[in-house]
Amino acid sequence: MTDQVRRGTSRGFSGVVSPWWIAVTALFLVVFFVIPIINNLLNTDQLVTLAKQRPASFYYEKLFTDPYYLGIVADTVTLSVGVTVICIIIGYPVALFLVRHAGRWSGLVIFLLIAPLLTSIIMRTFGWRVLFARRGLLNDFLLWIDAIEKPILFLNGPTSAVIGLVHVLVPFMVLSIASVLRSIDLQLEESARILGASRFKTFLKVTFPLSLDGIGTGFIIVFLLANGSFVTLLLLGGGELKTLPLLIYQQFTISRDFQFAAAMSNVLLAIAVGCLYLQLRLIKRKGVKG
Amino acid sequence: MSSNNNTDRQSLELVLRGISKRFGDVVALEPSDLVVKPGVLLSLLGPSGCGKTTTLRVIAGFEAADTGSVLIGGKDVTLLPPNKRGLGMVFQNYSLFPHMTVADNVAFGLRMEKASEQEIKRRVGEMLDLVQLPGVEKRFPNQLSGGQQQRIALARSLVTNPSVLLLDEPLGALDKNLRETMQFELRRIQNTLGITTILVTHDQEEALTLSDQVVVMDQGRFQQIGTPSEVYESPETRFVSEFLGTSNLLSGDISAPTDSDDRKVTLQYGEVKTVIESPGAPSIPAGPATIAIRPEKIVLSKRSPEMRNVLQGIVKGHVFRGSYHAYEISVAGRDDPIFVYDQAGERSTDAVHPIGSGVYLTWKRENSVVLRD
Repeated sequence: MTDQVRRGTSRGFSGVVSPWWIAVTALFLVVFFVIPIINNLLNTDQLVTLAKQRPASFYYEKLFTDPYYLGIVADTVTLSVGVTVICIIIGYPVALFLVRHAGRWSGLVIFLLIAPLLTSIIMRTFGWRVLFARRGLLNDFLLWIDAIEKPILFLNGPTSAVIGLVHVLVPFMVLSIASVLRSIDLQLEESARILGASRFKTFLKVTFPLSLDGIGTGFIIVFLLANGSFVTLLLLGGGELKTLPLLIYQQFTISRDFQFAAAMSNVLLAIAVGCLYLQLRLIKRKGVKG
Repeated sequence: MSSNNNTDRQSLELVLRGISKRFGDVVALEPSDLVVKPGVLLSLLGPSGCGKTTTLRVIAGFEAADTGSVLIGGKDVTLLPPNKRGLGMVFQNYSLFPHMTVADNVAFGLRMEKASEQEIKRRVGEMLDLVQLPGVEKRFPNQLSGGQQQRIALARSLVTNPSVLLLDEPLGALDKNLRETMQFELRRIQNTLGITTILVTHDQEEALTLSDQVVVMDQGRFQQIGTPSEVYESPETRFVSEFLGTSNLLSGDISAPTDSDDRKVTLQYGEVKTVIESPGAPSIPAGPATIAIRPEKIVLSKRSPEMRNVLQGIVKGHVFRGSYHAYEISVAGRDDPIFVYDQAGERSTDAVHPIGSGVYLTWKRENSVVLRD
């Protein structure tokens, strides 16, 4: 079958699959993605703006020396790492349950994990706004059980932003940990048990170390998504919490400083590329090991 | 053996009392009893799905038996978790921890016992010497060959001086030559340590070569328990006789048991009635019975021999198998051919009895085995 397809390809138009079929997609990506990014990288200083023309280095210098902007870069990374760590803590037990104990219910658990991803991120985030509002469900409940005397302002702060991000991103963590857990040979755990390890020790010495690859992959995916998240932070952070994507948005819509925005987006892109490189290294190392 | 006396618990007796196990509607193991004397290597032999692995997993504590109890050295361990049973186990795929060095793999059991690092170093060295792989401490399992990994798995399972060693198809993943070397190796180590050992295998040759005792299993039952030569030479059931190598099965009518160790079996092929003799088998009543004869126990001759058990046939097929000639012989009035293995000796690779020639088949009285169905 494959051979036939290959031979067909070499004979030209009679082939079922031809490399030219991806031409449209490739062209689309080159025109609307690759060229703008390259342009952005090379010509930060030549964008036509209302502001004065300045060399690109000025904006990078400003970003990495001005304590205010440096703080925002640090905040962005801190927020992403924090969200990722919370996702690991919440996601790991779910992944373990999914792989080891869900049995015939595992299909349902996976559905429950993926279903929220099918609705718009804006819808899900607005859901949290309703729950967290000053007279929302959570405050009403806390007032009703007399836990608090007056409504707490959950919204427009780091707490609600982190909760919103974790909610959106935890399925990615669960799925990447679960896929690695599923590949662990149960006989390895049985070997540990027969050698005298309790269930807990077996988890600590065998299951957990062998699932680190899954945590690594999940970490990079969730970190990247949190790093670039915009809608959730805009709707739940309420301007209190500033990150690079929000700042870029601000530079475009309010300050009209396109050049600075472009510089910041390059920094964000560099972080993303760095992370992807790390992931590639992780996969390569695994390939050599296996 | 070891200077550490409180971990020295080798050569204990293993007893299964009325052990049974079901998975839903499927009976994996009928209620079964078994006594394994200290220091004995016993094989559980049978086709896949016969319940041999379930039996092993019940002994290990990975499966809870529905009924019955497991006793190790007289102590009831039925309710103990696997880590409290003091067993060693080697799995088919070695099951070495891929994220640990060889030394850490072997030391795992000792670390669980909280042995001192000094003691661990000494014991790991001892074990690697025992399996003849000194100096590989710092390597990772994936840097070793299959045979080496198997030795490390064995070293890891023996380092804690387990009371009973469980081997689950330990040589199944190795190629043929290596498997034979490892069989001798395994037997040598087991003899050195004198450890009670249960070996699960579907390879009859492996079971016969390695074991002091063989349990032949089928459909969740212990079909026959005995020494390798007992189960091979005197199979009790049709299953055992057929599972352990090729067997010719002859159906006939057996005479009533007598005081003398002798039974007459009448075979009817077409019009021809042949009476053959077989040993006593007092438990088998008169009537229809099946006799088993191993192909290598039958002697072929061109002229009618002066013996009691004689059948006449025509050579239908012949293959040379290196150390012996295999003949397929048809007997008039009988549907299935009779197989005969004739030692090749120094003769040529040509058949002594060409295809189409008439031959006489004879065998000694004691080589006919009466089967219980």
